Amino acid sequence: MNCAKFEPLIALYVESDLPAGDARLVEAHLETCQDCREFASEMRDSQAALKELRMDFVEESALQEVRAEVLNRLSAPRRTAAWPKYAVAAMVLAGLWAGWLWRAQPVAPLAVQPRAAVIAPPPVIPRVRPVRVSKHRARAVPAFKSEPMLVKIVTDDPQVVIYWLVGQNGG
Amino acid sequence: MQELALLMESGCVDARDEEFVRLVKQAKAGDMAAFEAIMRLYERRVLLTALRLLNRNLEDAKDAAQQVFMRLHRSLGQLDENRHFASWLYRITVNVCRDTLRARARRPMLSLEEAGAGLVSAAADDTVRNEQRRMIYDALATLPERERTAVVLRDLEGFTTSEAARIMGCSEVTVRSQISNARVKIRKYVQRRQRRPL
Repeated sequence: MNCAKFEPLIALYVESDLPAGDARLVEAHLETCQDCREFASEMRDSQAALKELRMDFVEESALQEVRAEVLNRLSAPRRTAAWPKYAVAAMVLAGLWAGWLWRAQPVAPLAVQPRAAVIAPPPVIPRVRPVRVSKHRARAVPAFKSEPMLVKIVTDDPQVVIYWLVGQNGG
Repeated sequence: MQELALLMESGCVDARDEEFVRLVKQAKAGDMAAFEAIMRLYERRVLLTALRLLNRNLEDAKDAAQQVFMRLHRSLGQLDENRHFASWLYRITVNVCRDTLRARARRPMLSLEEAGAGLVSAAADDTVRNEQRRMIYDALATLPERERTAVVLRDLEGFTTSEAARIMGCSEVTVRSQISNARVKIRKYVQRRQRRPL
């Protein structure tokens, strides 16, 4: 194993972070290698400098600030979002209003008051004997030509009269 | 109460301490005074760790510490009184600081004057030691987040590698490798700075 491979092991060895087997391997190498002994010494120095930071502390005012803020947030009444309540209330109100509008809508008055209908007897249609016509004969039959008939239908309302122009062929 | 004050002074209570277990039970029952007492026991360690993990940004560290205690309050119901409370609290602190660092990546960097505010050195009047202290903090700031966390937990907070691994949620082998890398990088940084005139 060369010295570059020992560096990470030495970095752990100086703080007794190596398993026993690896530690013995490093110790054996340090006995024979001057460069690695120097590296271990420098590593101990930088670790000592790093551990000096353990003595640092934080200002009391910063601690008080954190504590006050946390207690303040915890003691404040829990505020839940108000918009869902308002949305539900608005929907209920809108529903009620729509219902009121629907019920209050005036019914349009009938233009013509209904009267008792006079039911005319059904017209008597003379029974016609059906004639069987073959296809080629039907084509040969000439169209029946005559004057159209005007039908006048009188309703109960004297102002409403219906005229119906009917051809003889039923058209 | 005097006993509790002594515990708070030492700052090294454990979840298995009788007094602490009683405090947790009271806090679970909604006693805010008990919760405040728990906060006072751990606030120094939480804020100091946050300052170190967040490269001495006091505002971010205060925000992180607040979040840690808010999470603690929310989780009181699930808190196991027999569990190692300190490790659990550190785990929350590490996670909150990680989130803060990710959010901070989208914000401008802190100026040199702002960094270190709120952090007091035990050797305030010793210029050489103060310079060295600043240099080590600068070296820590150059490390990747995981390596910085590993070395802060092991070398500054005094956890063992297995405890640090549990807090960080990874294997002991991984943490050992991260600690080793961090130490070698810090040494190199210090050497470079010492060779270079300031």
